[in-house]
Amino acid sequence: MAVDLDRCTGCEACVTACHAENNIPTVGDTQAARGRALHWMRVERYWEGEFPDVRLKFRPVMCQQCDAAPCEPVCPTYAAHHTDEGLNAQVYNRCIGTRYCANACPYNVRFFNFFNPSWDKPLHLQLNPDVSVREVGVMEKCTFCVQRIKAAEVQAKAEDRSLKDGELKPACAQACPATALVFGDLNDPESEVSRLSRSPRGTKLLDDQGTQPKVTYLQRQSSE
Amino acid sequence: MRIAVLIAVAMAGLACGPPGQSVSSRGQAGMLPPREATPPTFTTAHRTVADAARDFFGIRRDAQQPIPFPHNVHIANKLTCTDYCHEAVTKGPRAGLPGVKTCMICHESVATDRPTVQQVADYQNRGVDISWQRVYGYAPEAHVRFNHAPHIRAKVECATCHGNVAQQTVAERVVDLNMGFCVNCHRTKQASNDCLTCHF
Repeated sequence: MAVDLDRCTGCEACVTACHAENNIPTVGDTQAARGRALHWMRVERYWEGEFPDVRLKFRPVMCQQCDAAPCEPVCPTYAAHHTDEGLNAQVYNRCIGTRYCANACPYNVRFFNFFNPSWDKPLHLQLNPDVSVREVGVMEKCTFCVQRIKAAEVQAKAEDRSLKDGELKPACAQACPATALVFGDLNDPESEVSRLSRSPRGTKLLDDQGTQPKVTYLQRQSSE
Repeated sequence: MRIAVLIAVAMAGLACGPPGQSVSSRGQAGMLPPREATPPTFTTAHRTVADAARDFFGIRRDAQQPIPFPHNVHIANKLTCTDYCHEAVTKGPRAGLPGVKTCMICHESVATDRPTVQQVADYQNRGVDISWQRVYGYAPEAHVRFNHAPHIRAKVECATCHGNVAQQTVAERVVDLNMGFCVNCHRTKQASNDCLTCHF
């Protein structure tokens, strides 16, 4: 995935779309104040400069799907592991809730279910049937909407073709009105996301940690 | 060991209800709804320790169908699984159940004297669909997202997972669809055994 920070307006449509797509529960304000809220995606806000000469910067942060993910080696049950496609996967069945992965993650994008999620009826009818509803005691995180990836792969296989670039989008990229989020296959050097990742503006989040994240942030180039 | 885990799971399921819910139930103390009433919230928590135990050991009650649908009679009359009745099976995740209207395509003229068929006709006259109970399906804790269509395309017979329905009247759970069952078949057919193939 590539994130163009010049385009991001901080509208948080991606956050809302992510909640809706991935059945992410809300925990209420008291628990959120204790840091128990779950947001697979968040928009960080930075003020720069002194009033009245201030600049506002936004940065959407989701799981960086690191190639050398710190969350993976600490998991005692291999719930956090790497797939052949390069996704950093979280298997809820295996997770026993040690929360080591959340501690190891430098990006704070792993979330623990402190409670069984609940929805007032009939709101439970809006849950996405393609995504599990996680119960108490398991970690969860951004999957790059793996349900959409799998659905597109199944469809492509049925039609006996390979996936086209831009054929599928995770919920956040689909919802982004400014198309700041671009999703695609980094293994394909011709894809839009590969082209953007090679951009001289491209930076990785906390690059010095050596996690080799797969999300590229295109830095702002507007007047400084 | 297993019992200890079970108790821990059950307690976790009970004790860790969502914060909002515990507050509201405290407010209604003394006038709790009867156990059979539908709770006002949907939650993944088990309602009772017994529910948690049943889920843990995979014990499920057999489905009670509103009408004892005879699969054997329909298959003996040259109806296959996928035409008319479960026709969504080739298209998407769910095999689908036929609506009353689909039943009545044939039963407008076929076997109209049978009491069960008259029951079906009555459903149509009232404009309600028959509330068939689910026979197979995974527990929510299994976190399995099963998609029928690719299995049909891979030429997996319906009977592989659902048993010989031609010999059943009301559909029964004759095959235990555990993970070993799935993984074995995926191995022999050289399908992906990555966790994310099914669990997400």
